[in-house]
Amino acid sequence: MFDLLIQGFAAVLSLKIFLLMTVGVAVGIVFGAVPGLTAVMAIALCLPMTYGLGPAAGISLLIALFVGATSGGLISAILLKIPGTPSSIATTFDGGPMMEKGEGAKALGVGIVFSFLGTIASIAALAFIAPSLAKVALSFGPHEYFAIAVFSLTLIATLSSGSMAKGIFAGVLGFAVSTVGIAPVDATARFTFGNVELNAGFSILTVLVGMFAVAEVIKVAESARHPIDGGAAPLPVKIKGFGFSMAEFLGQIPNAIRSALIGIGIGILPGIGAGTSNIIAYIAAKKRSKTPEEFGKGTIEGVVASETANNAGIGGAMIPLLTLGIPGDAVTAIMLGGLMIHGIQPGPMLFITQAPLVYTIFAALIVSAVLMLVLEFWGLRIFIKLLAIPKHILLPVILVLCAVGAFGLASRIFDIWTILGFGVLGYAFVKAGIPTAPFIIGFILGPMAETSLRRGLQLSRGDWTGFLTNPISGTFLALAVVSIAWQMWGEYRATRGPVAANPLKLGGEE
Amino acid sequence: MRLKDVIVGTVMAGAGIFYLRMAAALPERDGVDAGTVPGILAWMMIALGLIELVGALRRPHASEAETRAATSGLVTVGLTLLLIAGFIAALRPLGFPIATSIYLFLQFLVLTPKSASRSVPLYAGLAVASSVLIFATFRYAFDLLLPAGPLVAWLN
Repeated sequence: MFDLLIQGFAAVLSLKIFLLMTVGVAVGIVFGAVPGLTAVMAIALCLPMTYGLGPAAGISLLIALFVGATSGGLISAILLKIPGTPSSIATTFDGGPMMEKGEGAKALGVGIVFSFLGTIASIAALAFIAPSLAKVALSFGPHEYFAIAVFSLTLIATLSSGSMAKGIFAGVLGFAVSTVGIAPVDATARFTFGNVELNAGFSILTVLVGMFAVAEVIKVAESARHPIDGGAAPLPVKIKGFGFSMAEFLGQIPNAIRSALIGIGIGILPGIGAGTSNIIAYIAAKKRSKTPEEFGKGTIEGVVASETANNAGIGGAMIPLLTLGIPGDAVTAIMLGGLMIHGIQPGPMLFITQAPLVYTIFAALIVSAVLMLVLEFWGLRIFIKLLAIPKHILLPVILVLCAVGAFGLASRIFDIWTILGFGVLGYAFVKAGIPTAPFIIGFILGPMAETSLRRGLQLSRGDWTGFLTNPISGTFLALAVVSIAWQMWGEYRATRGPVAANPLKLGGEE
Repeated sequence: MRLKDVIVGTVMAGAGIFYLRMAAALPERDGVDAGTVPGILAWMMIALGLIELVGALRRPHASEAETRAATSGLVTVGLTLLLIAGFIAALRPLGFPIATSIYLFLQFLVLTPKSASRSVPLYAGLAVASSVLIFATFRYAFDLLLPAGPLVAWLN
């Protein structure tokens, strides 16, 4: 195994491939950092460039883009409170407040280092436990997926501190919005109003960009003319090293290990990616924290949880991709296409027939992670300078980039109108005090829940008890009930207390 | 009673009723069909809206200051939404470089704080430079065919 890994490093560290990867990571970071541009777009746009390259160079470039873009989202999540990618949603919860407190540099440093550690942890998981873990995931059917989706949806209640009814409503509305388009199983067109552009439903990118980026622009517009703080951007603290102490680093190790395990575990399951794992890791970190009241106010624990988990999803998502040929999310689906273009057929036989190439992929992941750390550390000072740009100049330019990102999905002006629509909805959420994060979770998990429910019922010939009698699905459904009951009990206790503890404000909630 | 929360609760329940009506119009089949899950979601939305409404009716009044803060800045918000809508509508006829330059210039002016000075030449320069840079990057580096409008003969 180590011989093969050394061979892989030798291939990746050749001058040509190393330079390609450096450019790939840098471009990926930019795509991740700009709201509206994602890892999917970075890989899709660069895929044709790999045609002329050999398999090792082509795949290494794609992996570099993947790693860079997944991590790059933390930059805008912290500096602008706008997640550059779905995988950085939870980073905004504490990264944004840290920036407002003048700790932007520290938040970026923490995010960069723990993104790196998350990536490395997931590569270790990929290399050592891939085959056995993938077998477990392979045994999951619609019953299990439905139960996992329901359990994950019940976490919405945890995200709904404040008004539980509003939070759950946001999740249900997100689920409802995901039902637009062709229905699963029977292909009935739903809620399209005869508009063919709605047949495929709304893209997650347009929903995310609208709800976060466009809503943020509108929100800034509200106070732009009469800024409360006189319009002065908060000054970042002077940065030394990565901006945090060794004691702070060591204190976050348990949080990072837990978040990495969540990221890897969720990354392995097809259909749920880093977009979900960062939020679940954030919730877990808050639950386990000694100071949960600090979450949402700017604590490094929140940034560590989100950034470790989302980058740990990289290796996690590669496990079913390489061992079974099953892409876990849109990024790995494009990666699968990229592998096949170069004559590589992922599956159990890949490890036997093309073992050197598999280890080249592992080496490319490790080198990309190191390049990401170096480039982001080097770029940290440049990113901080972004703070000096007044918001009334920066945000309109970002809106234009969001419009370009939406247009780039399918070259349709319709998608740009969609981001405006979701932007207005996001702003309405802010004004109504409805959290945005449950809406996104509902939108992401809704289709999986509905499709699995209908397929599961088909398999069990309409018998609903199949979901309870299946051991894995029954366990998850029981956990879902416990999760709701626990949250309701917490809510009841909070309302009986003198002041309802309510530290978590999400998605720009007022 | 808090008027804002009453309105929010009513809108939540209203959205559920609207969604339920649309779900009911879907073609029916035996067992679980395309309308089943939307129907369940709609009833949940109605129930949650009613819960919020009842809670709002029990809560104390909002202070006048809170009400005033909630309505300030709405003119700028309205102007921003109009500008974004105008920008999107103008993308095809005017093309990306021209529509973006105009949008950015006007949006810079609208969002500039009253206390800050407005430099029209600087804003115009920034608007044109940003739109040209974005267009060139995506058009020529990433082969994204952004609408060029009347400039199509020169830019493609």
